[in-house]
Amino acid sequence: MNDAGMWLAGIAALPVLVIGVSFLRVEVEHLRRLAVASAIAMLVAALVIPLSPAVRNFSLHTSALSWIPGGEDVVRVDGLSAALLPFAAGLWLLTVAVTPRASLDQRGLRRTAVTTLITLASFLTESAVVLLVLSAASVWTFLSALADPVHRYQRRVVAMYLGASTLSFAIGVALLVGPGVQNTAFETTGMWLIVIAALIRKGIVPFHAWVPEVFDHGRLGPAILFNAPQLGAYMTVVLIVPRASPEMLRAIALLALGTAVYGAALALVQRSARRACGYLFMSQSALVMAGLDCTSVTALAGGLLVWLSAGLAFAGLARCVLVLEARRGRLDLTTYHGGYDRMPVLAITFLAMGLACTGFPGTLGFVGQELLVDGAVDVFPVMGFAVVIASALTGLAVLRMYFSLFCGRPEALAHPGLRLGLRPREAWTFVALVTTLVGLGLAPRPLADSRFEASAEILKLRQQRVSGGLAGSTTTPIMKRR
Amino acid sequence: MTLGMPSVPLTVLVLVGVGSPALLLMLLGAASLINRPLSERWTGLLAGSSISLACGALLLAFIVYGMTSTDSRLLSYGAWSTSHDGGIAIEFLVDRLSLAFAVLSTAIAGVVSAFSNRYLHRESGYNRYFVLLAMFVLGMLLVALAGNVAVLFIGWELVGLSSALLVAFFQERPAAVSNAFRVISVYRISDAALLSAAVLLRHLAGSGSLSLLFGGGAGSSASLTTSNATIIAMLLIVAVACKSALLPFSSWLPRAMEGPTPSSAVYYGSLSIHAGCFLLLRAAPLLEHAPAARALAGLLGIATAVFAGITTRVQSDVKSSLAYASLTQVGLIVVEIAIGWYTIAFIHLAGHACFRLLQFLSAPNVLHDLHGLEEAMGDRGGRERRFALLTSDRARQRLFLIALERGFLDSLLDRVVVETFNRGARLLESLDQRLCDLLLPTRPSAALEGSDRDE
Repeated sequence: MNDAGMWLAGIAALPVLVIGVSFLRVEVEHLRRLAVASAIAMLVAALVIPLSPAVRNFSLHTSALSWIPGGEDVVRVDGLSAALLPFAAGLWLLTVAVTPRASLDQRGLRRTAVTTLITLASFLTESAVVLLVLSAASVWTFLSALADPVHRYQRRVVAMYLGASTLSFAIGVALLVGPGVQNTAFETTGMWLIVIAALIRKGIVPFHAWVPEVFDHGRLGPAILFNAPQLGAYMTVVLIVPRASPEMLRAIALLALGTAVYGAALALVQRSARRACGYLFMSQSALVMAGLDCTSVTALAGGLLVWLSAGLAFAGLARCVLVLEARRGRLDLTTYHGGYDRMPVLAITFLAMGLACTGFPGTLGFVGQELLVDGAVDVFPVMGFAVVIASALTGLAVLRMYFSLFCGRPEALAHPGLRLGLRPREAWTFVALVTTLVGLGLAPRPLADSRFEASAEILKLRQQRVSGGLAGSTTTPIMKRR
Repeated sequence: MTLGMPSVPLTVLVLVGVGSPALLLMLLGAASLINRPLSERWTGLLAGSSISLACGALLLAFIVYGMTSTDSRLLSYGAWSTSHDGGIAIEFLVDRLSLAFAVLSTAIAGVVSAFSNRYLHRESGYNRYFVLLAMFVLGMLLVALAGNVAVLFIGWELVGLSSALLVAFFQERPAAVSNAFRVISVYRISDAALLSAAVLLRHLAGSGSLSLLFGGGAGSSASLTTSNATIIAMLLIVAVACKSALLPFSSWLPRAMEGPTPSSAVYYGSLSIHAGCFLLLRAAPLLEHAPAARALAGLLGIATAVFAGITTRVQSDVKSSLAYASLTQVGLIVVEIAIGWYTIAFIHLAGHACFRLLQFLSAPNVLHDLHGLEEAMGDRGGRERRFALLTSDRARQRLFLIALERGFLDSLLDRVVVETFNRGARLLESLDQRLCDLLLPTRPSAALEGSDRDE
């Protein structure tokens, strides 16, 4: 293994270290400190990847798996994953840094490290079989978070939906890897099964009912960490976009656009903050999916940017809800809770994260959504209008939540001396998150350019496959469509 | 295109004009984010000097360029979001109209900033107010000088958000917060309509450059057929109607009076409420290409002027009365634009903005002198007699009731839009839950609670 490989191994070793130490008798707070330090180190190391050509073009080949779609590249770093690795590290850091002390134990910290490791490994492979294994592992990790009897119902709901997704994915891959399946009904069926797996995983209507249920009555923390990286989007980019027929992509995009509007509309009328988060996630996740399934370089680059911005912004927003819940209990959106003056940093963070979700100017989300609309408007004009409506509704939902959670007369404290403000660790993490999203929103060029390059690579691959006859039977050349 | 001065100074002047409030916003915003707000003295000083600098730079640009050239000029500061095609470019369209409106905006904002500095002294939200004021000034300048759809939209959104958050300035009052939500709801319709117009423009004309539509001249709007131009113009009119509280979107205006008086003055007396009129003025070449949309704008203007003229006579508090009085003039300005009296419309806009600013800023003194809201407006019976022109008592009473209830627009909106939306959304949500229950019929009662352990 060369230096680049060692670098990647070092990054992967950090969550492994936390997993290992979590089995020892260590105090939870000490383990959290180790996890925070590991996440920071992982983030810094991952940020080196886009800057270093050697690591950015690293790949580990094997001829043994060459019969699987993307199987020859078991480990591969490219333009797409170069930005996704820091993203995964950032999500881990956010999780371990702001989770309230009362909500954390050794198993929980271990689970965050395992989930991060799986996410990291997923972003480093393009092999369908490896992705399938990792996808099943992530579902298993999520189910283990719902193992307590209180969440038996939610566990069964998740098991049913995500089990079906994993099964569909497995059958789809099995159909694709069979001998002589190119341009046959097996290939088309296999592709559709993988599409359905991705749709369930991303909570796209009509496969979405598990998302609000898990966010509302399940465990919000694991739900954020499971959903925010959007492995379903990665499956789509790596396995579906290069191979699917235009009709297939259009069908996915239409479903995704409907979900974006649906999720935002339902988030607007929720009584529970958790459930509203669930619907907001559906809407954001669908917006990413719609962008990824649009065959224009600009729209795809927009989709890749929205993936990063919506993932971080949504995770930040939902984490704010968790931090508030730790201080106030379950949050009802039909009343005004007040408390801006007690927690101004949290209030500003919540608002900034919400606005980033809506694509408000000055945040990374704005640039992503602009590119998405701009690129899609020629090939798929309806997308522009759907994004506009979804964005308007999301904005209203976010502001309604903000007004309810931070405005109004503050509730009386149980004890006069009780301090409800953020701890420095929490405050600085939120400040860093806002700075990142606003900073990238004000100076988006390097990241946006890298997303353009990644999207050009993906569409080039698709072009090669289409001209090689590997795409679905009803394909038309992509460049002609554009 | 002629240019009365070297191009570099104009570019620099406009950059200073727009950049100065942008820097102010970043500085005050960053201080608030880390919970280390600047002292009142520093905040007031920075806000005053930054807005004055912007005003001075833009005034200079107006004197040197606006006085000597009648042409419009597109200033490009390069690609911002990406170096590839399809990104957002920072472009400003500079001509007499845009520079004049930009100067007016900064001058009024400067006056309000100085006034607010004393008016909000020791108010707990002092810093928050100035962050939002800086956001507003930046938004207004971007609306005034926008050279492409993206820049216009950024400005439009900044104005809308700052407006709603200032309505909720006294955030411990539930009424202020719920009114702010009403305001932002209408503003989001405006944003959606503007963005839809932009999407359509880009799809039909193949460009998001506003110089095509707003720049005037023979080439403008020529690439659009009349029907396409009408659709885009109609969407723009919806955006304008929401932003300027034209009928049928007028009901948010009195609700917006919950904010502090200086913000009411700058938003609903002088600048924000005229932003829609300014957009219509900019879009005049497009309106000329779409007679149906122009007629609609005229009708909306007349209807709004009549409605607001009647309503303002019966308002029980001075700020609402002033707000409706403003709306009367806004309606008339829209009519002037629809007729094609552009110069008169702009003079009317500028004069009205300054006059109404003065009225709003002096309103607290009137209230203070008369010790109450009702006293400031006279008794209700006296107000009913203001419809003495009508001979029938019944007609007079009906008109009085309609005016007092502000045209029943709020209840109409609640019944037609809000309730329908809520009912539909609740139905869909119950379907979601039923879908889960259908798959797993036994939902334990414990499953309705979240967990304490949420890492």
